[in-house]
Amino acid sequence: MNAVYDHMVAIVFIGIMFVWAVSVVPQMSFNSIQAVNQQQLRNMELNVFNSLLLDTGSAVNGSTNTKDWGSLTPFSQNAVTRFGLSSVGESTLFTLDPDKVQRLTDNPLGSISYERTKQLLGLEGYNFIFQILPPFNVTNADGTKIDMDNSPIDVWELQNGAHPTLAYQVRIVFLDGRPIPNATVQSTAIYTEGTNFNITGPITSKSNEMGIAHTSTALAFAPSSIMVIMKVSVADVATIVVTFGQILDDIVDINIVGDQVTLTEPKAPNNGAVWLMDMYYYSIEGGAQHLYTGGKDGANKLNTGSGEFLNWTRNFNGLKSLDPVVMILNVYAVPNNGELPENGRQDLVVAGPYQNLLGYTVFEYGPSNPGLSTIVSSQRSVIISGMTYTAQFILWKESA
Amino acid sequence: MRIIEVIISLFIIVAALSFTSLLSIAPTSPKYEATELEKLGYNVLHDLDEQGLLPRFVYSSEWQNLTSALRVTLPISIYFNLTVYKIERTAVNGAVVDNYVAINSGSNGLIQYGDNSAFLSSKDVASVTYGVVGYTTKISQTNFQTNYSPRVLVLELTRG
Repeated sequence: MNAVYDHMVAIVFIGIMFVWAVSVVPQMSFNSIQAVNQQQLRNMELNVFNSLLLDTGSAVNGSTNTKDWGSLTPFSQNAVTRFGLSSVGESTLFTLDPDKVQRLTDNPLGSISYERTKQLLGLEGYNFIFQILPPFNVTNADGTKIDMDNSPIDVWELQNGAHPTLAYQVRIVFLDGRPIPNATVQSTAIYTEGTNFNITGPITSKSNEMGIAHTSTALAFAPSSIMVIMKVSVADVATIVVTFGQILDDIVDINIVGDQVTLTEPKAPNNGAVWLMDMYYYSIEGGAQHLYTGGKDGANKLNTGSGEFLNWTRNFNGLKSLDPVVMILNVYAVPNNGELPENGRQDLVVAGPYQNLLGYTVFEYGPSNPGLSTIVSSQRSVIISGMTYTAQFILWKESA
Repeated sequence: MRIIEVIISLFIIVAALSFTSLLSIAPTSPKYEATELEKLGYNVLHDLDEQGLLPRFVYSSEWQNLTSALRVTLPISIYFNLTVYKIERTAVNGAVVDNYVAINSGSNGLIQYGDNSAFLSSKDVASVTYGVVGYTTKISQTNFQTNYSPRVLVLELTRG
């Protein structure tokens, strides 16, 4: 009898053990598999991110290999054989080549597609997002984004013959929205009226406890076209913001590849011919510096048609070593601001290559939504054209 | 008697399974997280050093600027606490002893972002040690003097 009870109790225990095993063991092995997958994903993400930031990459240029693949002219993404954004010849780590970074954007001189980059990085079956973030944000005083439609600058024209006054007010905040007091704002105003062109500045101001910096200065004449370039520094870590006093769309596209500046005029809408009058570059160290004097002649003409005036290209030896962040052009063209031009063709100021993006997320490369997949991400501090940014890399597996 | 055998068998099986799960290291474990924070911390200090900002902040005691620079270069979710040490060499009973003396003490010298409790409660606190060996001063247009005066920076990082 005892043996029967003994067996019965043992069977009950084994039954409990069976139920427990059925419910818990698969979960444990699933967690282990998931942990191993995540571990593999993280290892892969760190390796890819490191090669992206520390490797120069390479491309085939004729019969030779070049590490300076961002400066290939003409550019073909198929010529790139290894992908990396590091600057050639830099002894320092995490310094990215602006030419290579610009190949990731919608570049009229040629860009590298997301699929091609995935292939070069060996990320078939995975997706990634590569972001470059500014160290802090510069907004309008009310917190809205600075863009063509919302400019922080204002020009007061006085009636008594006094010089007109330029005023601006911006807010400098950490990326979490907290204000940054004591940030330095150095502003340079570039403006035109008719055929007059002038540069004023730099004018320095400091942000208050609310993170707001404001200043005003007299201009030489009342401008019809004006832009203000602001170098905003927090503890000498600087970013550049370009603001416009008026909406000027599609006058000319500015592209820099190595030492070469190429201007292309957008196809639509048609603004007619554009003449390049003056060209300046703006760098973190040197501010606005004169680079080229043009004129109303065939050598400085662009138009929307085809033929010899389709592009304007010049090589400026040593330009890349000066770390130009923004190119500033004084062009003779018809303003295309959605209204009929009052004075026809006139001098206008335009900037590039990425004036709309400075001061905010510089760009995001890759699909925008990772969905419900498990993601891993890393951040690193990087330097591009003398400015500090945070690079972020997010990786996840493609869903089956 | 068989009940005892069954219980012992169950105990062995459960122990074996628990042991195997302990061996696997999840990516969110302190081991991975601290390594990642260490890389990030070293990367940020290195970048500031390369730009010539770190020696200036350290040797001019610009602690507020150093705090701001770290805040804008580190991601917003990262809390930090930085201590700057100078090395004082003293002779004790004929033996030379190096003492590390913190030089950014007091409320004005605090180089910190985030709540102290985050460092105490978090399991994933990384510590990066970074050396700044000296600074250069300009004597004339063409002459510079390099001053050897090492400082040791200890940067603690955690996620907020």
